[in-house]
Amino acid sequence: MTLSAAIRTGDVAQLPGKRDEDWRWTDLRGLIRVLPPPSPEVSGEVGDGPFGPAELTIVNGRLRGDTAALVVPAGETRTVRLRFVSASEATSHGAHLAVELGEGARLTLLESHEGRAADYVADAVLTIGVGKDAALERIVLTNDDPGAVTVSTAIVTLGYGARLSQTVLAGGAKRQRIETRVEHPGHGAQVRLDGAYLLAAQRHADLTSVVTHDGVGGVTDQLAKGVVRDQARGVFQGRIVVAEGADKTDARMGHHALILSDRAEVDAKPELEIYADDVACAHGNTVGALDEDALFYIRQRGVPEPEARALLTEAFVGEVVERIEHEGAREAAAAWVAARLGG
Amino acid sequence: MAVAKQTVEHVEALEKYKHGFVTEIDQEFAPKGLDADTIRFISAKKDEPEWMLNWRLEAFERWLVLEEPAWAKVHFPRIDYQDAYYYAAPKTKQGPKSLDEVDPEILATYDKLGIPIKEQMVLAGVEGAPKYAVDAVFDSVSVVTTFKKELAEAGVIFCSMSEAIREHGDLVRKYLGSVVPVSDNYYACLNSAVFSDGSFVYVPPGVRCPMELSTYFRINAAESGQFERTLIIADKGSYVSYLEGCTAPTRDENQLHAAVVELVALDDAEIKYSTVQNWYPGDPETGKGGIYNFVTKRADCRGPRSKVSWTQVETGSAITWKYPSCILRGDESSGEFYSIAITNGRQQADTGTKMIHLGANTRSRIISKGISAGRSSNTYRGLVSAHPKAKGARNFTQCDSLLIGKRCAAHTVPYIEARNGQAVFEHEATTTRLSEDQLFYVMQRGLSQEEAVQLLVNGFVKDVLQELPMEFAVEAQKLVAISLEGSVG
Repeated sequence: MTLSAAIRTGDVAQLPGKRDEDWRWTDLRGLIRVLPPPSPEVSGEVGDGPFGPAELTIVNGRLRGDTAALVVPAGETRTVRLRFVSASEATSHGAHLAVELGEGARLTLLESHEGRAADYVADAVLTIGVGKDAALERIVLTNDDPGAVTVSTAIVTLGYGARLSQTVLAGGAKRQRIETRVEHPGHGAQVRLDGAYLLAAQRHADLTSVVTHDGVGGVTDQLAKGVVRDQARGVFQGRIVVAEGADKTDARMGHHALILSDRAEVDAKPELEIYADDVACAHGNTVGALDEDALFYIRQRGVPEPEARALLTEAFVGEVVERIEHEGAREAAAAWVAARLGG
Repeated sequence: MAVAKQTVEHVEALEKYKHGFVTEIDQEFAPKGLDADTIRFISAKKDEPEWMLNWRLEAFERWLVLEEPAWAKVHFPRIDYQDAYYYAAPKTKQGPKSLDEVDPEILATYDKLGIPIKEQMVLAGVEGAPKYAVDAVFDSVSVVTTFKKELAEAGVIFCSMSEAIREHGDLVRKYLGSVVPVSDNYYACLNSAVFSDGSFVYVPPGVRCPMELSTYFRINAAESGQFERTLIIADKGSYVSYLEGCTAPTRDENQLHAAVVELVALDDAEIKYSTVQNWYPGDPETGKGGIYNFVTKRADCRGPRSKVSWTQVETGSAITWKYPSCILRGDESSGEFYSIAITNGRQQADTGTKMIHLGANTRSRIISKGISAGRSSNTYRGLVSAHPKAKGARNFTQCDSLLIGKRCAAHTVPYIEARNGQAVFEHEATTTRLSEDQLFYVMQRGLSQEEAVQLLVNGFVKDVLQELPMEFAVEAQKLVAISLEGSVG
């Protein structure tokens, strides 16, 4: 039951729906009665993405140039900008890209999902292998059309001692899901899995992740934040699995959301699934409005209320942005956040 | 040393499940299997009015088209619903008029369970000791309800469900199925069709129920299921505290217990519902036998400022699958859920609560402590939701899991659905094992490992234990120790 299978076969029965436990808050089957026709090939210019000129560009599901995979050989360090562009109105497409990091390699992957048309249905799958002692920092920015339905899935396999640091910034769409699955072998491997969704109007965004700890001594640190206003809907589903024998696992998950209107909605399911006893796992989840005391404090200092609210909201999301290691990416992310909180 | 002595006694008494005996009494069964005739048989046996039979038959029709749910983290072979007895009752010529007419074997059974059915025994206790009225359900029927007269003076109705259907038909008709609708879920629907007995409580406006009410459920007959139905109504401004305890004999087969409990709290009323569930958990080594405890419990805080508090100590059953819930409909109503769930051996538990905030300024609080040992699996699953009208709703949830041993599992699956900007939800959860440092410290003071674990576990669950009524708290504390028997070393 995936969107990619539905696009490939044209069969809407393949779409996941609210009766599937993992899709209860992102019902695609109930939404899409007929899949739009396949997207055409587009050869024209698509301009620059939010991170500047890109090394890899995928338009309507087709990779430009003749690379089929992104490979970083052992020991090398790279920064790659990867763009997924949807350029044709009311059409559907799927894309797949393999990313491979050799032993000790380093990659900063600056990924963007951009809508240059309306009402498209887009699916993207990344399969990522991070070799022994290699490090991947992945930053994902989305700028999708409000009428689009998009699903982006990353399946990450880590080697011993590998590091994954990820930050997803979701701006939402009609339905937008960004899913990350991590096979975590422990043995010195470390994962940081952050995300934020900033939603207005009737946008929806779903951050879903599953981290499976299979070996001894794995570390996972997850922080997700959300701000919803108007009639927007934010979804967070995080699952941390600790398999039998994965002792000394240290996993922490936090999800915190602000609801800034009376009709916005946040749905969250932070899950722990634990089959080993010598572990320290915790999750925290809070949903609420801005702290009135903090607001009062700032206004007392002479700051007008709208600015005080903006300041607090920015600080709230700022925690996620600050954890981005790549400086340029951090600035791009900060600009992305500012543009969305400004209104 | 008192602690040591008590531990030794525990171990001796509880090498095995101590309630695992079978009482040999004459029983009357409905024919095996389930069809409309079985339901007519049950209804006729209980001398029910026409509307009740129709209600059951309608439920049965709906059950036939429902699908068995499979989303819980529990695994068990498919249940053959035709291979069970749906009605088993101790044989009596007529309904017992007083305690003297109850089969002495049954009384002896309750005696063994330590339930003070005989009022004299309670009265013989210390002067001023708290009294509690008991309704005892043996397989499918309620055998005896005590203290009726005293309760009647206060205007409280406390009787078996079958009696309530006959004598307080209007009340039953008004409230039955109003909290848990007939086709709410697969097991509740089955229960609506075949429920045999249970307790009924009505507390009139402004009355504070003068004593604790309690029910003991016992499954005795082989190959039978128990489907009790409890309905408690607290009218405006009233208060009632209700306790429930359960046991079953040791058997190789699995037995189904699919109960429905409905609570209704009107304006300013308060209901406190405590459960100590100790059904036979199955063989700890092979996982053979044990009770499937698939129960639907729900409270409707219908009136403003009403309050419902669920406290549960779940130590038994092969599989526990239940979520005592509160629908917070009235403005400023509040719900509480305190739970200790302990699994050992091959037990599986998927339990938690639902707090559904509908009214303004509603409040809820969830404290859940899960302990898994042996090769068991323990899941907390809870839903907290706020609807757009639930302005100012607040929830605080804390669920902690403790793992004892290498082959057990603990899961936490909270669902949070916030649909307005003025609700505040906080949730925190931790999963750890017993701290080596704490164990070392306690053992250094001269306690054995077993004692040390008991002490630490009792500390871990203390927040919940203190919510139980006094008599139950003591029993529950012992039960906690017993359930963990053999989990260390």
